[in-house]
Amino acid sequence: MNREVFSVLGIFDSAQQLMDAIPAVKGKVPGKLEAYTPYPIHGIDKALELRKSPIAGMVLVMGFIGAISAMVFELWTEAVDYPMMTAGKPFWSWEAFVPIMFEAMVLFACFTGGLGMLFLLNRLPMFRHPMLSSRSMPLVTRDKFALAVETEGQRVDVDGISRLLQSVGARSIEVVEQMPATGPASPQFLFRFTVGVMVACLAAGYLTYWVIKLYPRAIPMVHMLDQPRLDPQREDSFFRDGAGMRMPAAGTVARGYMPYLIQSENEADLLPNPLPRTEEVLKKGRLTFNTYCSVCHGILGDGKPTLTAAYGAKPANLVSESIRDYADGRLYHVITMGKNAMTSYAADVGREERWTVVHYVRVLQRALNARDEDIPEEARK
Amino acid sequence: MSDRGATRILAATAFAGLAGAVATGPVAGWERFWINWIQWFLFLLTIGLGCLFIVALEHVVGAKWSVPLRRVPERLSILILLACPLALVGLFSLPVLYPWTRPESLQNPLIAGKSFWLSIRFFAVRAVVCIGLWVIAYRILIRGSMRQDQDKDPKFNVRARRFAPVFMVLFGITLTVVAFDWISSLEPEWYSDIFGVYIFAGTFLAGLAATTLAVQHLMARGRLPGVTPDHVYNLGGFLFAFTVFWSYIGFAQYMLMWYANLPEEVFWYKERLEGLWGPLLLALAVLHFFVPFFVLIPRDSKKGRRRMFWISILVLMAHWLDLYWMIFPAIAKNPVFSWPEIAFGLLFISTALLWIRRAMSRGADMPVGDPFLREGLEFRL
Repeated sequence: MNREVFSVLGIFDSAQQLMDAIPAVKGKVPGKLEAYTPYPIHGIDKALELRKSPIAGMVLVMGFIGAISAMVFELWTEAVDYPMMTAGKPFWSWEAFVPIMFEAMVLFACFTGGLGMLFLLNRLPMFRHPMLSSRSMPLVTRDKFALAVETEGQRVDVDGISRLLQSVGARSIEVVEQMPATGPASPQFLFRFTVGVMVACLAAGYLTYWVIKLYPRAIPMVHMLDQPRLDPQREDSFFRDGAGMRMPAAGTVARGYMPYLIQSENEADLLPNPLPRTEEVLKKGRLTFNTYCSVCHGILGDGKPTLTAAYGAKPANLVSESIRDYADGRLYHVITMGKNAMTSYAADVGREERWTVVHYVRVLQRALNARDEDIPEEARK
Repeated sequence: MSDRGATRILAATAFAGLAGAVATGPVAGWERFWINWIQWFLFLLTIGLGCLFIVALEHVVGAKWSVPLRRVPERLSILILLACPLALVGLFSLPVLYPWTRPESLQNPLIAGKSFWLSIRFFAVRAVVCIGLWVIAYRILIRGSMRQDQDKDPKFNVRARRFAPVFMVLFGITLTVVAFDWISSLEPEWYSDIFGVYIFAGTFLAGLAATTLAVQHLMARGRLPGVTPDHVYNLGGFLFAFTVFWSYIGFAQYMLMWYANLPEEVFWYKERLEGLWGPLLLALAVLHFFVPFFVLIPRDSKKGRRRMFWISILVLMAHWLDLYWMIFPAIAKNPVFSWPEIAFGLLFISTALLWIRRAMSRGADMPVGDPFLREGLEFRL
């Protein structure tokens, strides 16, 4: 008689009988062979030919992915998208990335191991396994051993399987019926519930973001905003004189400090540029210029930046004839001491960097006032 | 090959090595002679101490699975008795190799501050005390176990379990002393708190590798009847875990020094990354971590005879390379490896093998008097 069942159980009295029955049944029944025993039996996984768990491979692959994605993320944020100098180390400091790579690897691997085991292999959420409501369950958790032919709802010849199990020594037979999956405990319901919770979380997060953005006073947590610290150029009660910033200790000079004794621009005309005009110097000059100077003088140095209107002052056109006639020393002096509305950049731009900027300004001047012979021979025709 | 033939060949290579080693002093300089001495005696000593630690670990945790294997590390730890006189002879290297023995070194405030610890007399006292403690531990743990073969007295297990935790503490202290005295004081300005742990990781790994190698060797000759792949699997698990531990500690030491960038710390790494030492460190990372790690990941390779055999040889070689990378840069700007190193290698390894063969040929191959032997043999994963 063929009908749909979950499994057919043969109950055995001892582990040895069960082990002896396995090879006699294997290959002669549909579905897969499973055993339920009160304690683990050595060698039963080999006898049942249970496949190796794929968890190990999944964990390995996900661990790799975790490590690599952490590395790519750090590389992108720290060295490409927003290069940030930390403790004077190079942007691409793999040493500093390793702990995070390690942690991400462990995180990915653990989640894959745990969640993969629960959801992929054990097919959770599954609150009602058909075996749990079988009559044999109390027996196999005490002193009996069950060999199960699990077909999980296929149409099978139940009587044939029962006879086979009895012929290899099963004391009794139980047919476990397939269960309809309905109601709040069914996988479909739980899946929908989980997705619903996730959507609700996303919506709440999105809402919170906009509430904080539109009503800035509604700050949910202040943790790091409000902390005792010394702010530059602010009052502070920590020191007796009430100032947050400190004067250097008497009689000391900052490391690398060099006095700048030039008083006037005319005097500065005589300063020679100590740096050679190499590609390296020009590249450094471009970086410094684009960082500090281009904000007002424009990326081409022509005095046309985006900030002018907001700032109010009219920055000098660095490629104009009058400034082209400046000596190197005079340009250097202006960067060091400031001129008109421009403030001194000595504190932000180092001595050598200022000279690289001078070289780069010369490049801009030449580029925007190019003569015929500056253009390569082939391009001129 | 017959036993006697192998002994003859080992004796011949030992004598050839002895000739080369004796010639090293006058021909290649005494510095070269003593640095080789330190390198090779530490190689043997760390393997011996690692094995002694494995024995003590079993007693501390009361492990049963390792009882059938215990005689292997017990016999291997006889290397300590070989290495102790070598250490005493090594004391003559102090004025040649160790800069702090020279009076002018006291000009350096960093060394002057350590002059209490770094004096020849105190150094010798420490060395002798360490040797004394190891010999006492050897007598209690290993001689006691051998005696139990005859008298079958279970009181030994009680005594060993009481003594083993004490030994753990002494082991930690003495191994740190070895690390600080013999290795790190080659460059006395340097200091690293974690260095003792790093040496411990290498030592334990070397002991495990030597044990695994000897177990495979004895199993292939049928001298460990009843020992199954499940026992070997546990050794493989230990090897796997401690390759990670070694690299974790090694990288932690490197990363903290790299971050802090203190001159008295980073110079040690700078020396060991310059020239060909840099690629050597890379090779060390590959051989000491990546290869064993990835080879040992699958479950089957922890049970596989050939793979465990070759991996333990690889780990022993990597341990030698680890010591070489720490010790030799003290005298050489670039790696030196020619006849003196080979001669010392032949001498020390042949002698050690002869020494171990002698130990292996005496008494039972398993602790036959241990009441837990049977339980250990029944161990299955």
